[in-house]
Amino acid sequence: MSSYLKLSGISKSYGQFTALQTVDLDIKKGEFVTFLGPSGSGKTTTLMIIAGFEQATSGSVEVNGKSLFGLAPHERNIGIVFQNYGLFPHKTAAQNVYFPLQMRGINKAAGMRKAEEMLDLVGLQGFGHRYPKELSGGQQQRVALARALVFEPSLLLLDEPLGALDKNLREQMQIEIKRIQRALGVTTIFVTHDQSEAMSMSDRIVVFEKGRIQQVATPLDIYHRPETKFVAGFIGESNLVDAKVSDAAKGEARSAALGKVEYAVTDKVANDNDVTLMIRPEHIRLSRNPIEGRKNVRMKVETIVNYGDNALVIGMVEGQPMRVRVLGADVVIIREGEEFCISWTRDSVYMIAK
Amino acid sequence: MRWLGIAVVVFIAAPLVIVVPMSFSNARSLQFPPPGYSFGYYQAYFTDMSWLVPTWNSILIATATTVLTMLLVVPATFALVRHKFRGKGIADLMMLMPLAVPHIVMAVGYYSYFGNVGIVHTHLGVILAHTCLSVPIAFLVLSANLKGFDRTLERAALSLGASPTKTFIHVTLPILRPGLIISALFAFVQSFDETVVAIFISGRGAETLPRKMFDSIRQEADPVIAVISTLLFLAVIVGVTAPLLVARIRSRRTPATA
Repeated sequence: MSSYLKLSGISKSYGQFTALQTVDLDIKKGEFVTFLGPSGSGKTTTLMIIAGFEQATSGSVEVNGKSLFGLAPHERNIGIVFQNYGLFPHKTAAQNVYFPLQMRGINKAAGMRKAEEMLDLVGLQGFGHRYPKELSGGQQQRVALARALVFEPSLLLLDEPLGALDKNLREQMQIEIKRIQRALGVTTIFVTHDQSEAMSMSDRIVVFEKGRIQQVATPLDIYHRPETKFVAGFIGESNLVDAKVSDAAKGEARSAALGKVEYAVTDKVANDNDVTLMIRPEHIRLSRNPIEGRKNVRMKVETIVNYGDNALVIGMVEGQPMRVRVLGADVVIIREGEEFCISWTRDSVYMIAK
Repeated sequence: MRWLGIAVVVFIAAPLVIVVPMSFSNARSLQFPPPGYSFGYYQAYFTDMSWLVPTWNSILIATATTVLTMLLVVPATFALVRHKFRGKGIADLMMLMPLAVPHIVMAVGYYSYFGNVGIVHTHLGVILAHTCLSVPIAFLVLSANLKGFDRTLERAALSLGASPTKTFIHVTLPILRPGLIISALFAFVQSFDETVVAIFISGRGAETLPRKMFDSIRQEADPVIAVISTLLFLAVIVGVTAPLLVARIRSRRTPATA
């Protein structure tokens, strides 16, 4: 893999506190990569080190083979969209977008023309003369995006840019950002703590926790093949069951609550090792009677969380909480306190070694 | 409640209602209601050097005070609001100290100290003393503005390729401009209005308008005082309403150019 942005061994500490611990990462040209993690996991710190607003305690950042060491933020040619957009209130939308060109000595006529073109691209044709306070949140977001892209930056960094928008607008902007990013082919890092945002937008996701990278993989791999228990629990709903490997070759483990559970063998783990088994709620079927060819256990329903199109049925199996996803139409026949059979196949049990 | 409000306004505005007619009076001294009306005292004010010189002194001193105050306050405010350093607490306190000390105490101090240095009764002396009194006021106004300043804007400018100097010129200063103008205005008005220190140290050489007015009312109750009060009142009204009018005209024009 040819690497365009290369982070090598980046660490950052504030006194006793370690914010980042030896972060290594390679990003390809044109890739859309999401930094995902809870707050304080180090994703924003990493972004700020790339942008030059924070200095790494050790490690290096290279873009296209050139080290960024010693370059001030304004010398890095990196476009950033901040969480609250950072639009200049005393400048119109077009003047905001012209600003980076102005700083690069491009004359006003040519620069303003280019700014207007960029505003067209983000869908703000005819809004150039408006001041930020005369624009809606989504429109301000687009101006910020146009401003961060107009000078053809080597990288685009987005720091939780959709956090302030309501849900519908957020989904619309996710699609817009992807469209614009593809149109320009700019290498992009998107920081978020919203897993669905990360899922829907990214080529690859980098999961951060406690200053370390937990996993770097495509959204589907992150969802179906999480490498650590943290990733499995952080992304999507999941049932995580502690178990001990009983037959490594066949893929069998024993759990206190579920008994013998067969899993899909994807990783080599020796017998008697402690592992975590992950079963996604949508892979579990709920029925009155056991279903042949599947692992069946009985579960007492405790809570039903209805989302309309689907519902999450939460129950207990021998003291082990289990979550089952059912279609919204089916939820009417389920009562809290009733006992049901839940069942799954070997293929839907994923074993996590660590 | 409404009547109480009106009563308060009437009580506060009453001096104006009395002063403005008195300025058009033809009486020999301050007298209300005036026995007859004329523009005589306006003519007197605009032709009498003993009034025009103090007016000029006040304008000169207030302008110089404003410039000097801002030169001190702008860097000091940035340092005190944005940076942490040893002795910051004491520095903060020292900036505000002149607000807490009674003007009369400051005046006595300046009188004896400036006397020793040899700048009592000079413009320089009054300017220095007034600057001391204007600094805390300008600092309070500007630091409130700077504390509310969103520093993401500066980061955004840096990320867009503006050097720290250009960021200051193109982003920080324009956004702080209203705060800077208001704090300069406060510094100016403080100096223009200041009487106690001026009485002690302005003397004949640098006599300010408030000092001249005070002397005049004590000695002869010259109705020119009413003229000056009226003119100052007019200046304040223009000063307050002009920015509002400009803002209204501008906001009406913006959609038209759309």
